[in-house]
Amino acid sequence: MSQVEKKAGLLRRTSSSKKPLKEKVVLMYDEIFAKEDPAKNNARFWDELFLMKVNLEYLESKLESVDGEEVQRIQDNINSLFHHCVQALGEEHQIKVVNALQTLCALFRGVHQKNKSASGFDIINMLMGFDKAEQRMKDLMERLDSLLCGDGSESLKSLCLKLLLCLVTVTDNISQNTILEYVMINSIFEAILQILSDVSSRGQHGYDAVVLLALLVNYRKYESVNPYIVKLSIVDDEPTLDGMGMVVHQALTEYNRQYKDKEEENQGGFFSTLTSMVGSMFIADADEKLSVQTNEAILLALYEAVHLNRNFITVLAQSHPEIDIPTTPTTPTPTTPTTPLGTTPPSLDMMNNPELPLDPNLQTSNLLITFLKYASIVMQDTKDEHRLNSARLCLIILTCIAEDQYADAFLHDDNMNFRVNLHRMPMRHRKKAVDKNIPSRPLVCAVLDLMVEFIVTHMMKDFPMDLYLRCVQIIHKLLCYQKKCRIRLHYTWRELWSALINLLKFLLSNETTLLAKHNIFHLALLVVNLFNMFITYGDTFLPTSNSYDELYYEIVRMHQVFDNLYCMVLRVSTNTGQWKEAASKVTHALVNVRAIINHFNPKIESYAAVNHISQLSEEQVLEVVRSNYDTLTLKLQDGLDQFERYSEQPKEAAFFKELVRSISLNVRKNVSLNTLSQDVLLKEFSTIS
Amino acid sequence: TRSRSFPPPPSDQNSPCPSPSLSISSSPSLSLPSTPSSSCGPPQAVTPPLGVISEGVAELSLVIDAEVAHRACQEVLQKVKLKQLPAAPSSAAPSPPAAPALNTPVKPLKIREEDDPEGPAPGSVKSARRRQRHNPSKQSWLLRLFESKLFDVSMAISYLHNSKEPGVQAYIGNRLFSFPHEEVDFYLPQLLNMYIHMDEDVGDAIKPYVVHRCRQSISFSLQCAWLLGAYSSDMHISTQRHSRGTKLRKLILSDELKPAGPRARRDPLTLTPFCPVASPAAIGEHGLSPSKRTHQRSKSDATVSISLSSNLKRTASNPKVESSQDEPVRLAPQREFIKSLMGIGKRLATLPTKEQKTQRLVSELSLLNHKLPARVWLPTAAFDHHVVRVPHTQAVVLNSKDKAPYLIYVEVLECENFETSSVPIRIPENRIRSTRSVENLPDCGMTAEQRAGSFSTVPNYDNDDEAWSVDDIGELQVELPEIHTNSCDNISQFSVDSITSLESKEPIFIAAGDIRRRLSEQLAQAPTTFKRDPEDPSAVALKEPWEEKVRRIREGSPYGHLPYWRLLSVIVKCGDDLRQELLAFQVLQQLKSIWEQERVPLWIKPYKILVLSSDSGMIEPVVNAVSLHQVKKQSQLSLLDYFLQEHGTPTTEAFLSAQRNFVQSCAGYSLICYLLQVKDRHNGNILLDAEGHIIHIDFGFILSSSPKNLGFETSAFKLTTEFVDVMGGSDGDMFNYYKMLMLQGLIAARKHMDRVLQIVEIMQQGTQLPCFHGSSTMRGLKERFHMSLTEEQLQLLVDQLVDGSMRSLTTKLYDGFQYLTNGIM
Repeated sequence: MSQVEKKAGLLRRTSSSKKPLKEKVVLMYDEIFAKEDPAKNNARFWDELFLMKVNLEYLESKLESVDGEEVQRIQDNINSLFHHCVQALGEEHQIKVVNALQTLCALFRGVHQKNKSASGFDIINMLMGFDKAEQRMKDLMERLDSLLCGDGSESLKSLCLKLLLCLVTVTDNISQNTILEYVMINSIFEAILQILSDVSSRGQHGYDAVVLLALLVNYRKYESVNPYIVKLSIVDDEPTLDGMGMVVHQALTEYNRQYKDKEEENQGGFFSTLTSMVGSMFIADADEKLSVQTNEAILLALYEAVHLNRNFITVLAQSHPEIDIPTTPTTPTPTTPTTPLGTTPPSLDMMNNPELPLDPNLQTSNLLITFLKYASIVMQDTKDEHRLNSARLCLIILTCIAEDQYADAFLHDDNMNFRVNLHRMPMRHRKKAVDKNIPSRPLVCAVLDLMVEFIVTHMMKDFPMDLYLRCVQIIHKLLCYQKKCRIRLHYTWRELWSALINLLKFLLSNETTLLAKHNIFHLALLVVNLFNMFITYGDTFLPTSNSYDELYYEIVRMHQVFDNLYCMVLRVSTNTGQWKEAASKVTHALVNVRAIINHFNPKIESYAAVNHISQLSEEQVLEVVRSNYDTLTLKLQDGLDQFERYSEQPKEAAFFKELVRSISLNVRKNVSLNTLSQDVLLKEFSTIS
Repeated sequence: TRSRSFPPPPSDQNSPCPSPSLSISSSPSLSLPSTPSSSCGPPQAVTPPLGVISEGVAELSLVIDAEVAHRACQEVLQKVKLKQLPAAPSSAAPSPPAAPALNTPVKPLKIREEDDPEGPAPGSVKSARRRQRHNPSKQSWLLRLFESKLFDVSMAISYLHNSKEPGVQAYIGNRLFSFPHEEVDFYLPQLLNMYIHMDEDVGDAIKPYVVHRCRQSISFSLQCAWLLGAYSSDMHISTQRHSRGTKLRKLILSDELKPAGPRARRDPLTLTPFCPVASPAAIGEHGLSPSKRTHQRSKSDATVSISLSSNLKRTASNPKVESSQDEPVRLAPQREFIKSLMGIGKRLATLPTKEQKTQRLVSELSLLNHKLPARVWLPTAAFDHHVVRVPHTQAVVLNSKDKAPYLIYVEVLECENFETSSVPIRIPENRIRSTRSVENLPDCGMTAEQRAGSFSTVPNYDNDDEAWSVDDIGELQVELPEIHTNSCDNISQFSVDSITSLESKEPIFIAAGDIRRRLSEQLAQAPTTFKRDPEDPSAVALKEPWEEKVRRIREGSPYGHLPYWRLLSVIVKCGDDLRQELLAFQVLQQLKSIWEQERVPLWIKPYKILVLSSDSGMIEPVVNAVSLHQVKKQSQLSLLDYFLQEHGTPTTEAFLSAQRNFVQSCAGYSLICYLLQVKDRHNGNILLDAEGHIIHIDFGFILSSSPKNLGFETSAFKLTTEFVDVMGGSDGDMFNYYKMLMLQGLIAARKHMDRVLQIVEIMQQGTQLPCFHGSSTMRGLKERFHMSLTEEQLQLLVDQLVDGSMRSLTTKLYDGFQYLTNGIM
């Protein structure tokens, strides 16, 4: 009760200045929360109610304050309110529709707020009444559907989506939101698709639509049949899929742009101080360093599209010019991911614009490139949980991509060369390559670069084992594709080899601390097997004969790491302990690497001795390698070119559950109906009606 | 005396033709002056089959013009006859009834010339012309000629150009109707240039024919509009605005020249007998059906299966229903298509690097793809088709300093008639793999049981018969190779592979040396592809054998499985004047047919040119050919060594035939270069095809113009020692063969000199083209045919030319100059 008073106090301060004066609408709400049927005395009660400006706070707090027994008493009236709300959605009078939508929002929220622990059935009963629930929800969904697809006001559509987002995120765990069962039966999937396929509606509502879809797909994903999953997986309409990709593309681009702006801001110098002065006028939180809030919701949408819909893969490679037009600095709300999209005027939409803007500086881009750039930013810092999740999701998406034949085909397409500027973490031992002239290469090079970059930058105490495993597996999948299709990628494999060797070195030197938490042998095995891929199948995918020599050179040069690794795994595998099995696998995997080292080391030493050279040059070593291949025998290992396909269940289910929960919370926080202030709507509709 | 016997005022052209004219379907080709009563009589009632049969040729009779043409025709001839009667009454009267032959007037001419000594020899044609010019009283000869089988388009054009007599001009204007379209089309640039720049009488004589053809054909309309624009461009701007050419162009582009009469083009009665067995509809419909089907399937899946409750019928709400029932938009789609291609070229030119240009090109084309298929086509193609897709990643930017010409590949579906066949329905880019979307459903976190469950609640989803119709199986087959590789991931022909059977515990050993050896072997063995060079992106694309490219693109295309799928390519030039190229093409084509006719085995390859305006156009690329520059830069070999590398040792069949091709093409192009004075012959402008032929490209400097007029390249043609080496040295048999071919070629060309001269001469009118700079262009050209020399003297001339070119210092100098300035090897 005290809480209510507090809220009421707040309310009064903000909305009405004088204490005794109650708004008419508040009085009417009070009537609803009385025992009597409010229409009994006033036949036009409901009509009038929806003409009043909604007082969300009051209505919500009122609902929250109702306690157990009271519920029974007023349930009829609440059911009635719900019913009339749904009916009002069909009204021609747009004000009524707006008010009804907002009232529904308040109803859903208020009832859930009050009954956090209550079962879904009780909530349904309280809102709609059991016997009528099905009909009510069907009506509601149909009305929403026709509002979303009709030619009505864009603000109304936006409000409909907000209501749906509100409904979907009303519980922390989406799967416990029993009302969604009706949303499953009465699908609004088609409406979402229509929004995405149409250029102008996509510009305005695309973001909400995509997030809504991503959330709906996650409703009881693992327990029951979710029609949204089925439907999403068979969408093959190009404009719609493109539209979906475009929304994700724009959201990620916006993130990348914000990040870049902040980065430049922080770099100091005369120019940057100037811009930061200007910049601080718009960005409220100036000391919020380089942490633009990540956007897992959009990333989840991308994941679901890539994972569920094979057709979506083509969208990844669809080229667009980079949308790098500074968005009009509107309100200082960098933390709400809902805003950036609304600010992009639909005229910038490339699908709409048959001819691309004529700007020579405009780099050509596509969703995949934007995604890779985004991933490179997110992966830089995996310390906080959001970013860790984001990075993990990025790697999962890349895993799905690397497994897809079609995606692999365009990743390796020699005709599709791009310059991808990945973000690199500034580190002590290397200068930040500002304008390192990256050549234009097939996209897979950028993926490999990203993986290498991750490997070399995350060798830390708090070792992200899971991310490393995914990373190495992605590389493996790409190699398998190259081997199978005999694609000789001109890539500087040396960088990858030395990154992998350094990783092994790190595992060795932190053995004890890491073993407390992780199975480092599994990772070591994967890394060694990558080398085995190169050693035994190098003939099928290496770009030049020299590159095979270089591989040997690198192994021989770093032989100490392999020697130490062998000693370590041999030691662990001879002891009895939980790692015995895992370690012995690594010993077997090392057989060829050791053969190479044992074969060439003596040869190199004798060459040095014979020629009286203390330090052999690289060219000399390569010469020794080249002339001594024939006496070396290698063992063919099993299953090097096979991998386990990604599957979400059961391995990743827990991760996604948690992720969806956090996204739900975030979306709920950001869906404030105030974003669409009623004043705007009133202005809009006063001219219409 | 002006005989204004002729044609209806232009305003009449626009008015729809009265339907009665429909019945006169006997073609004007029958309406020879000799049989005036039969052809020009009252409209005969024609039985339907006749009307149908004659449609192809006689559609022209549907327009007023034809009728008028008849009348005018006779009037003119009557006049001529009357005039001549006193002079030579006997010769004019018995004109042979040449009616049946007129539909194919050219062939008989050819045969006649060689086989029939009694028939009027070409010499007499010439003499007739001379007589006509100098002695008007001998016009009876002229009349006889006009009525004879020999009278072909080439002569008609020539008389149209040279005759000062309006009656003759008008007559020829009418005679145009009786020639096959393709033959007249070859002279379209000449016709239109005369229309623009010559006096009113000639214009009036030509116009009815042009208007008539425009009504019939969209592509002819556009072709005319483009050429009219291009050839009017050199006029002074004030005169240009009101010129005849501009007016006609406007009329055509206003799209008012529709097929006359209300007759629907897709009238089944007129269409069906036209096509042999497979009706045109079959082609079109076949192209459509798979997408239609599958489209419906996806629709039904989504709607039927899930929205159990509501009446949301909006799944496929995207408005992509083909509105083929509507009045077909005639010129607009094609014009838009061309416009966007040109727009791309213009925008590319603003980008600084090749790489940026290429990227931009790819993304621009991918946007263009969204608007395809449409009723658009490549005018350079030889068959009717609709463009369905541009495989955008295959496009390349060509080497050019400041312009941005680019090469695109275009997927088309062949059709009966691009104007009437329905446009194929779009198959989404992802269609090629759509079926897998269903297969992979279990991946989405459902167990098999749940999946089974899902089908019971979601009926009609997978076990629907419709869903697995024939079309889908076709699609599956497209994917088959992929599935195949998927399932047997571990099969490898080259490496001993890991076999994952747990039973075989026997370790397999391999030698490291073998792996290394295989690697270098495979790298060496790989077909000589060119290395990717960001500065020369087109080299790789052009080196790939055409067949292979077609296969590769077909595999990756959602339309690839359709039986009428074809791949075309075209070079889009923006900012370049292709009028000279077109002129060169015509001359080359003419010489080619002369040499064919005279059975001289010279080889040249005229490539088609489409002039869109005075600064834009399209070129049909020569497939399977790369420039000598690219060859030398990439292979780092001499030309002979490159031949040996590509074709084998000097004694092999393959090498010998490549060498023969080389010699025959060298001889052909040497003559071309000499006759047309083709300059700027650096190695970037000479292509070498996979069979050993050389092909000269870029005729930007011909006749009177040479690059920067530096006076380099004084030799007759380019004949480097490298060329001679490939021929087997200057004292070898093949070299003698080369010289002999040149002599034969020159003799043959000389014999038909007028056919070549005429093409050039007409185009000289009203032009500012650099190749006509100065007054002596025509004289010079004529002189190079050396009419006065005996064959022995000609042989001497050829020897001189060859020796001169071989020893030419300027050729070497020019190559060096090109290397220094443009980096061309």
